[in-house]
Amino acid sequence: MQYQLLQKPDFTFVKVTFDQGGEQMLVEPSAMVAKDSAVEMKTAMQGGILAAAKRKMLGGESVFQNTFTATAPGQRLYLAPGPEGDSEVVQCDGSTPVFLSSGAFLASAPTVQLDTKWGGAKGFFSGAGLFLLKANGYGPLFFCCYGGIHAVDIGAAGYICDTSHIVGFTGGLTYNVEKIGGMKSLFFSGEGLVCRFSGHGRLWISTRNPGGLASFLHPFRPVQRG
Amino acid sequence: MQIDVMYRPAHSLARVLLPHGESIVAESGAMVGMSPNVQMQTQSQGGLMGGLKRMFGGESFFRNTFTAQGGPGEVLLAHALCGDMVVLDMTQVGYFVQSSSFIASTQNVQIETKVGGFRSFFAGEGVFVLKATATGPGQMLVGAFGGVEQLNCDGNLVIDTGHLVAWDASLTYSVGKSGSGWIASFLSGEGLVCHFTGQGRIWIQSRNPTAYGQTIGKLLPPRSG
Repeated sequence: MQYQLLQKPDFTFVKVTFDQGGEQMLVEPSAMVAKDSAVEMKTAMQGGILAAAKRKMLGGESVFQNTFTATAPGQRLYLAPGPEGDSEVVQCDGSTPVFLSSGAFLASAPTVQLDTKWGGAKGFFSGAGLFLLKANGYGPLFFCCYGGIHAVDIGAAGYICDTSHIVGFTGGLTYNVEKIGGMKSLFFSGEGLVCRFSGHGRLWISTRNPGGLASFLHPFRPVQRG
Repeated sequence: MQIDVMYRPAHSLARVLLPHGESIVAESGAMVGMSPNVQMQTQSQGGLMGGLKRMFGGESFFRNTFTAQGGPGEVLLAHALCGDMVVLDMTQVGYFVQSSSFIASTQNVQIETKVGGFRSFFAGEGVFVLKATATGPGQMLVGAFGGVEQLNCDGNLVIDTGHLVAWDASLTYSVGKSGSGWIASFLSGEGLVCHFTGQGRIWIQSRNPTAYGQTIGKLLPPRSG
């Protein structure tokens, strides 16, 4: 299977070219842009009803996922996320899992196992909604976000990231959700919650967050009368 | 201090490299990420009155100061809307900045809020302007909605208030109607414009946030109240 990220970085989408019949790609619903007509699509709840429900409720991913199967070499499949912005690919190598934040999953090889990881009570109760999709196994994993993707290689010093800008990170990292600054910062800094990362690994940050756009647009909505 | 703007133009991100002990002052909510040795402090610059005046100008009451401690550090800053950012080197005359374009500045930059006058406020297109001055070398980071274009004003120039980002304080400006009369101005859809006279540079944004908000906003379901 070959793949290319086209139209980077503002409107990135993915082109997959299958090397042989029988190769598969697991894709988030509605992400398919185009395919050779002989590529077969099958819709299923990955991992059964419970795993699918958990993924939907916790990870924000869909209950159903589509599997595309090539029937001959050279067939193509094009995939795109909903929002404008960048997409990236990471090779799962069986040793280190990759965690994706809610909604960042785009597609993966069927040899990559997907599971939802509870982000911790602290993240949940603070409203940060840090539910993560855990990807482990072998093969490419495609992810996306609103805005650009900025990679930070984290070493001994660690790193701090606004929770609403986290796209994903590799398994060598651990994190704590916390507030920065003092009491005044908590209420007035506008910075909300941050994740403090430690360990070694790579963090992907989105340069925009859809919540920022939504809050900008909100006042322009018509006002309900009566 | 070094400020690099990456991922230009649509989803730009500014990386500020702070030497030990140096600070950058940023608009609240602009911080995306930072190294753990950077300390954040929230302050109302200019005291209570300064904060209130800023709030009136559509900015936040508080700004955050980021300081690298115990070694160099980095801070990542971004704008809420899609678009480019530019780093302006402080000059002797300083700059005027359209208030929502301000993202950050070095600590020696004094930021003062100017209210664009009763008339502009009343027209709902309040042109709230910041005046940025510095006694020594310093930098300021401004963000745009859309792309940024630098125009040179040699004599006079008219610019739609919704497209303004920043300009050299050597220019004199006045906010007024675009046409010969108020009715013509209203019907033209051009609303308020800024009349510039003198010599200097003006940075404009290629999209108008209000026009964008109106285009999308009317398609959204009504909000209550």
